[in-house]
Amino acid sequence: MAAHADLALAEQCRAHLPGAFEQLYRAHAPRLFGLACRMVGRHEAEDLLQEVFLTAHRKLGMYRGESSLGTWLFRLATNHCLDHLRSKRARFAALTDELETEPVAAGASSGAVVGVVDRMDLERALASLPPGCRTVFVLHDVEGCEHQEIAALLGIADGTSKSQLHKARMRLRGLLGSAGGVRGSN
Amino acid sequence: MTTCQDTESRLTLFVDGDLSADERAVVAAHLDACAGCRGVARDLERLRRTAGALGPVTPPDHVWLEVAGQIGAPGPRAWVRRATTDPRVALRQWLGLAAMLVVITLSAYVVLRTTRQDPAATAGNAAATGSVQALTEELTSAMHHYENAITQLEALAKGDSQVIDPVVAATLQQNIQTIDGAIAESRSALGQSPENEPARESLFEALKSKVGVLQATVNLMNQMRKGDQAAAAEAAAAFGKKS
Repeated sequence: MAAHADLALAEQCRAHLPGAFEQLYRAHAPRLFGLACRMVGRHEAEDLLQEVFLTAHRKLGMYRGESSLGTWLFRLATNHCLDHLRSKRARFAALTDELETEPVAAGASSGAVVGVVDRMDLERALASLPPGCRTVFVLHDVEGCEHQEIAALLGIADGTSKSQLHKARMRLRGLLGSAGGVRGSN
Repeated sequence: MTTCQDTESRLTLFVDGDLSADERAVVAAHLDACAGCRGVARDLERLRRTAGALGPVTPPDHVWLEVAGQIGAPGPRAWVRRATTDPRVALRQWLGLAAMLVVITLSAYVVLRTTRQDPAATAGNAAATGSVQALTEELTSAMHHYENAITQLEALAKGDSQVIDPVVAATLQQNIQTIDGAIAESRSALGQSPENEPARESLFEALKSKVGVLQATVNLMNQMRKGDQAAAAEAAAAFGKKS
């Protein structure tokens, strides 16, 4: 159940109490913007964040408090990002399919050693992953979602979520092991 | 004895603690004996830890301003101090400007796109000279339109600036100053090299951003003016409940 404060804030937003929706925005926008930046890229994340909060404003009447407002908004934002990626994928289907089916290149004996992982390098490397495994990595490793939850969000099997995560980590390991290339790609 | 290949495919599950006790013991035994796989496991663990520490990202201020402007701004009503301008006049001015901006943005987009897609326009041969000149003129014209729109929007935004809270106004001013810096830099680069396409695109982007911030400002002011009576009644009711 959502906390009493969430229900109260949702009620204030529905009643158009001055400042209520801004309070909701200030509390949740940074996390949702981080999610969108990592899933679709910073350039498009601003538009998506706007869309998410406009949708939230329209749909707040449907919020019944079964989950926290943060979770409700997170699902809304994830779905917006996924819709965006799907429409993009439809436009570039051939290229994306090729990337998605490419096997993991880095092997255990490849010698790529990450060392201390710099956050900025990781953000840059993330942007170069194919959307499928990047989405799973962001949801699992950055946002802390469980595979079951990710599978439900993406409409895939738990096992697929696990294998995509492994693929993402191994690719990132390879990219960060040759960090010069990663820096040059962005 | 398991192979490195068998082990590697299970390393993500291993570092996440998603293996059964038996499977975990098998992988652990391999890692004890294999420095290569141990290194991979260590890297994956570091990646996982670093990813988990990636924090939220603060969005730029104009995103909220856009949202507030589009939802009829129950939030920004808290910023309303007083409304002095006839809302009908402000709305008419705004609608006129909005229509003009759509036309300008479309024409700038078409011109920039044409410049990128027409190799003849950049080949420098005699046949293309006329078209290059025409495009340059159109770009200059589009730029002037942007500048005119900015001048008018600035006048509107300054006309009744008291309706916006000073803190918000200061943030808007800061954004405008940053964009003005970008505009000056792009203009300087174009001054040195008029054919510099990235500089031209940067200039258009910066002008577009400035129009966006000013649009958001004026939109916000109009929403405040339009909603004044209802907002006042609403606020009075809310205060009544609180007291």
